[in-house]
Amino acid sequence: MAGVKVDNLYKIYHLNGREIPALQGINLEVEEGSFVTVVGKSGCGKTTLLRILAGLEEKTRGEITFVNSRGERNEVSIVFQEPRLMPWLTVNENMVFSLRRASPEIIEEKANKYLHLLGLEGFQDAYPHQISGGMAQRVALGRTLCYGARLILMDEPLSALDAFTRRKMQQEILEIYRLERLTILFVTHDVEEAVFLGQKVVVMEQGRVIGEIPVALPYPRDTHTRPFFQLKEKVLDVILGRNKH
Amino acid sequence: MKYCKRLLLPLLLLAAWWAGAEWGWFNTYLLPSPVKVFSTAVVLTKKGLLYQHLKASLLRVVAGFLITFAIAFPLGIAMALRKNYYDYLEPVLEFIRHVPPIALIPLLILWLGIGEPPKLAVIILASFFPVFQNTMSGIANCDVKLLEVGKVFAFTERELFWQIILPQALPQILVGMQLGLGYSWRSLIGAELIAAASGIGYMINEAERLSRPDIILVGILAIGLLGYFIDYLFLVLGERLLHQKERKEIIWPE
Repeated sequence: MAGVKVDNLYKIYHLNGREIPALQGINLEVEEGSFVTVVGKSGCGKTTLLRILAGLEEKTRGEITFVNSRGERNEVSIVFQEPRLMPWLTVNENMVFSLRRASPEIIEEKANKYLHLLGLEGFQDAYPHQISGGMAQRVALGRTLCYGARLILMDEPLSALDAFTRRKMQQEILEIYRLERLTILFVTHDVEEAVFLGQKVVVMEQGRVIGEIPVALPYPRDTHTRPFFQLKEKVLDVILGRNKH
Repeated sequence: MKYCKRLLLPLLLLAAWWAGAEWGWFNTYLLPSPVKVFSTAVVLTKKGLLYQHLKASLLRVVAGFLITFAIAFPLGIAMALRKNYYDYLEPVLEFIRHVPPIALIPLLILWLGIGEPPKLAVIILASFFPVFQNTMSGIANCDVKLLEVGKVFAFTERELFWQIILPQALPQILVGMQLGLGYSWRSLIGAELIAAASGIGYMINEAERLSRPDIILVGILAIGLLGYFIDYLFLVLGERLLHQKERKEIIWPE
């Protein structure tokens, strides 16, 4: 497991001589083994935060500390909004795409393990164009799990899926989180999803963290209970600024 | 059904040609009947002449195209990966690209003589640009989103190239090769029409001198059919390499 601590993180883009602040002093702690969700309106900087944590973008200033870091390259990985599978590779080949230096035995072992865990057995020889969006996103998740990352960043990975597949995959992600003892930072714009998945919901607005709401409900969660509804309302209050007056 | 559709128009044209020749719609001295063309083809095949000329042309195309590939493919990759170098090359390449290779034949004969080199040079000039430009474009336009996947998994520059950039560019590179091969074939016939002692272009030129439109037609049909066959081989190779056939089947619908 690995956690991450973000202190006073800034990201400023420069466009035609103008400065566009995407992150304005983010402070955030994702504890080891925790499941944290980040929610906020479009353009609030959620994705930028994840991209900086994944090493895909440079921060302007601030500190990022990986807690209990083993100093290995594969500690952090990201599941993107789109599966981003290699169209010329099969499901199986995509799953083990990151394991280019591992022995054939390890590759086979990991592929079998995650194909089974993600319910992709029987589809290992299919190409990305032949499978559904939900299955493709499972492959993307499997690829990240095969990589061995302990801190997994998820950037709205379920946003393109229909409601039924989405709920099913939310439960699968929770199951994988439990079984693999991962640390997950999950970005979404769906408040219900944020409360359903996270042990803590972080609310962002205009590049700032404007609220952190702990979710003390046990898994599996029922979205139709009063406590769940109340928590959802609480998050919405923060997003919509309803508790300011 | 697909093959029936493809055969329909050629068969109709053949029937119209045959009917026109049979019922005197046109002068058969200028356009001999298909029966006559077929019998000429049989005679040329039996004498080994058709094979000999086809072989000569095909060898030139293969040799010229291999040289093209050996130059254009690595150059396309290099220019795509180091775009600032392309600025130096671009004006000269654009200039050469707009000059038809056939227009250079007199100069090439002056510089390289009348043997194989000027013909190979014509093929190289004709096929270079499709291979070069498609390779460059395929490599340069690699999907940034897929590259990010490699970066997340800590791929080195070399791994990014071999594992992501090149496989993704392969379909476009193959299209460039397919076009290049077609262009080499066309330009070769042009070169052989002017300066050659063998090859299909030479055979056609000789037939024109001897007023034998049937041999000219045999030559034209041989070029077309061989070109079609080479293109088909490329298509099969492409499908194998890119798994396009498998991709067409959806085994799990949305």
